Amino acid sequence: MIWLEFTIMGRALLACVLAGFLTGLMGVFVVRMRLSAIGYSMSHGAFAGAALGVATSMNPLVTAMLFASATAFLIGPIADKARLHADTITSIVFPLNMALAFVFLTLTPEIGLTSQVANILWGSIIAMTNSDVVYLVTLSAATLAIIYFTWKELFAIMFNRKLAEADGISTKPFIYLIIFISGVVVTVSLKLVGGLLIYALLFNPASSALQFFEDMRKIIIVSPLIGVASNLSGLVVSLFLDLPVGSCIVLVSTVVFAVAVLLSPKRRRMEVQ
Amino acid sequence: MDVIIKLEDVSTVYEGENRPAIKDVNLTLERNELVYVVGPNAAGKTTLLETINGLLPLFRGKISVLGLDVLTRGRMVRCEIGYVPQDFMVEPGEPYTALDVVLMGRYGRIGTLHRPEEKDREKAVEAMRLLGVEELADRPMGKLSGGQQQKVMLARAIAKKPKILLLDEPFSNLDPESKEKIPSLIRRLHEENELTTIIVTHDIHNMLKQCHRAIVMINGRILIDGSPEKALATINRSVAFSLEAIQ
Repeated sequence: MIWLEFTIMGRALLACVLAGFLTGLMGVFVVRMRLSAIGYSMSHGAFAGAALGVATSMNPLVTAMLFASATAFLIGPIADKARLHADTITSIVFPLNMALAFVFLTLTPEIGLTSQVANILWGSIIAMTNSDVVYLVTLSAATLAIIYFTWKELFAIMFNRKLAEADGISTKPFIYLIIFISGVVVTVSLKLVGGLLIYALLFNPASSALQFFEDMRKIIIVSPLIGVASNLSGLVVSLFLDLPVGSCIVLVSTVVFAVAVLLSPKRRRMEVQ
Repeated sequence: MDVIIKLEDVSTVYEGENRPAIKDVNLTLERNELVYVVGPNAAGKTTLLETINGLLPLFRGKISVLGLDVLTRGRMVRCEIGYVPQDFMVEPGEPYTALDVVLMGRYGRIGTLHRPEEKDREKAVEAMRLLGVEELADRPMGKLSGGQQQKVMLARAIAKKPKILLLDEPFSNLDPESKEKIPSLIRRLHEENELTTIIVTHDIHNMLKQCHRAIVMINGRILIDGSPEKALATINRSVAFSLEAIQ
């Protein structure tokens, strides 16, 4: 029994560290490339997909991945092809995914608010399996490798997309890449934080790191660290107060953001100017 | 005759608008030509530059730059163009140093998935030295004055070692001393490297001093393509005409 608890806790800690690292890392790109609305839509796409998985007794991770990818495809290349503004398409897709999620969850009334449904809504450390941890490890390695090789292009796009294009960088494939990776990261982290709150993990650490530094290299290192620290602190708070882990993580990361805004040296210097 | 830029009956329309921003433009620039483009606001000067480098979709006509069709080979064309956009200002707090911004100018040349090397950094620092902003290399871009930012953007265009320079109001924020020096520096670089350069400006003084060919644009069309003196006379006439109309 003790060994089982140790395994669950070890897995939860590892999942918190990896999910915090990944969402903190990808959040920098999502925030800097102004893809926040796209981030909401994808996380709710993953939520709808997971709900479908539960309703149809399929693997929720697979269906969440399919929905997040479909959402990424819809708000990326298809919206570009149809010349739809990002605001327009995300305003359509966001409620669509929420509506689908609730339809899927009520299609099979016998499911009700079972633990599986609750896990999708607000996350659970018990729900994390060994496979989930393996996915997170693999995804972390793959994401780091991709960012290493495409850093130059991503760095330029984050500065100014039009200028990057004028410099001879094809910006669209790199933006689609970020949208796609973010969708996968959101999906794999969904069980930990829950579909209703997962997007906060993308934005809060990056937005906090941006309050402090004037060097993008520092931000890209500090944001994942804030993500990891918020997740671990949230986990501890959740264990002590017996509250849902996802909510605690989001509350902690929001407090971190509020403190970052209050202490921001950049903000103070701007006020002086 | 080594034609570098050729526009044939080119019209460009912004998305969601019906009226073309430039209309039926025909223009040919040879290697080592330096042309100033002048005209009132909304004359189509910026649209002309962004159509040449393929940043705006072509509505009608044909553009060839360095022998390449801009519509199909736009990215390759842009790798050879040093571009300074109009009124480009970085907000305070943006996490990029001046050197980051200059070095980014070389990214298109470095190639996808390759990382900048020491020689790229050296070229960026050399360009900053030429513009007199070398000591600002490690300063956050958003903390520089408008004039300093403009010099950094010029350094960025030069660091690329381009074949073509497209500069949109590149001297507008400079102090009076720099307004004298920098246009001469651009002209020297233009001649030394046999560039093809288009400068959009409201600065008639420098136009008369620095170029042999000037273009006047009004309402999206090229009205005059000739000597700077001829361009000036046209501008004066249109100003007089406008004043008469007001009176």
